Amino acid sequence: MSSKRRLCNSRKMDDAIEGVADAIIAEFSRKKEMDFAFIGIQQRGVPFARRLIEKITRKTGFKPQFAMLDTSMYRDDIGMRATLPVIRETDIPFDMNDQAVILTDDVLSSGRTIRAALDAITCYGRPSLIRLAVVVDRGNREFPIRADYAGMKIIPEEGKKILVEFKETDGSDGIYEIDWSNPTKGE
Amino acid sequence: MEVNWTRKDLLSLYDLDPEEIVLILDTAEEFKKVSERNLKKVPALRGKTVVNFFVEPSTRTRVSFELAEQRLSADIINMTASSSSLQKGETLLDTARNIEALQADLIVMRHSCAGAQNFIAKNISSGVINAGDGAHGHPTQALLDLFTIRQKKGRIAGLNVSIVGDILHSRVARSDIWGLIKLGANVTIAGPSTLVPRDFEQIGVRVCHNLKDAMEGADVINLLRIQHERQRAGFFPSTNEYARFFGLNKENAKYLNPDAMIMHPGPINRDVELDSALADGPQSVILEQVTNGLAVRMAVLFLVSGCLKK
Repeated sequence: MSSKRRLCNSRKMDDAIEGVADAIIAEFSRKKEMDFAFIGIQQRGVPFARRLIEKITRKTGFKPQFAMLDTSMYRDDIGMRATLPVIRETDIPFDMNDQAVILTDDVLSSGRTIRAALDAITCYGRPSLIRLAVVVDRGNREFPIRADYAGMKIIPEEGKKILVEFKETDGSDGIYEIDWSNPTKGE
Repeated sequence: MEVNWTRKDLLSLYDLDPEEIVLILDTAEEFKKVSERNLKKVPALRGKTVVNFFVEPSTRTRVSFELAEQRLSADIINMTASSSSLQKGETLLDTARNIEALQADLIVMRHSCAGAQNFIAKNISSGVINAGDGAHGHPTQALLDLFTIRQKKGRIAGLNVSIVGDILHSRVARSDIWGLIKLGANVTIAGPSTLVPRDFEQIGVRVCHNLKDAMEGADVINLLRIQHERQRAGFFPSTNEYARFFGLNKENAKYLNPDAMIMHPGPINRDVELDSALADGPQSVILEQVTNGLAVRMAVLFLVSGCLKK
């Protein structure tokens, strides 16, 4: 039977997201003007981006633009995975050229999703800079990619992976450790 | 519930569950956006080799598949019957095995014999996509029709869809019928009794031999190309008579709902099965079908290529 162990409740998760929002504000308020947009990676980078936008707007009055991106068409492991990823909606309603963008995802692990996302972004334009924000950095990197903003760092036990759940996609907020064998959820 | 695609081949819509058909349509929505961007290419099939093996001639389907493959970054080889060793007496299976031996990942195949693709798919490890087999099936045409209907009407279930023309010889009609029935549409077929067999009633299709009956209450009317050789074979007396009784024109279009969609798989015989002004009019979605065909074929190539055993 597969196990699911809760590591964080909704309050601790919200604190982590708050921390990411503060770090973003700290970096961009040092620049000439506060201007950046969010690109949420499907599926759980999307609610994460929306939460950050809500917090940043409340704290600064500046409302960043929002886009969502599915990276399935850009992955390097199509045909190698046990199941083919379901392609979800991509919607980029603004011009990416010369725009500072912050990519968001729930968990940073191998870095392959982010590599695919960077590849995808270059098909839409040439942003002035790209940052990466994640709720959880779980180590285990296979690519030279790092997060600029991470809500927390959790190294799971061997054979386990991290699952970040959002009310919008899963019914409630929480961070969990689950078995690696669960093919449909997490990372 | 989330559905996973697990098939290395796409041979017929008859084989698919409704959820699998919906998955293809949903996937195509995202691939359609790729063609609307400045950079109309994604690396999804990078390193994959696709052979377009058209034993029966085709222009629009082949071009649509070829462009779909290019937009997915696949490497492409085009083969026709005249350029293959079939001319020298090689069997179809031997030709297909030779393609497989060249490490081709996918074969997009058209053949004049119904079931040719099923036979090949069973015998080789490469994926096989049916681009038309005899009068049996043309699944990607039906998928693009379903996609276009869903895009315009927002749904398929409960819609009244009429298909008019030479149903007997039409692989498009057969695939459309299976796809529409699986997604819950009410299907009517109409045309001369020689070309519209009553047998279709057994699978829940309404059969009529009168265009007006097929038009009344229809949300969608799909007019099939009438082939002149059928007239020569005696299925109907003359093209003019066919146009008079089964051609959609300005006069009889009054029986059609004002918001009914007019579809045609192309190429059109203007003023035979469809009046020229109606083909170019606001109810016509014929060119959108062509655009959507590209998206649907990209989706099918993507899904099937993800299930090849390596």
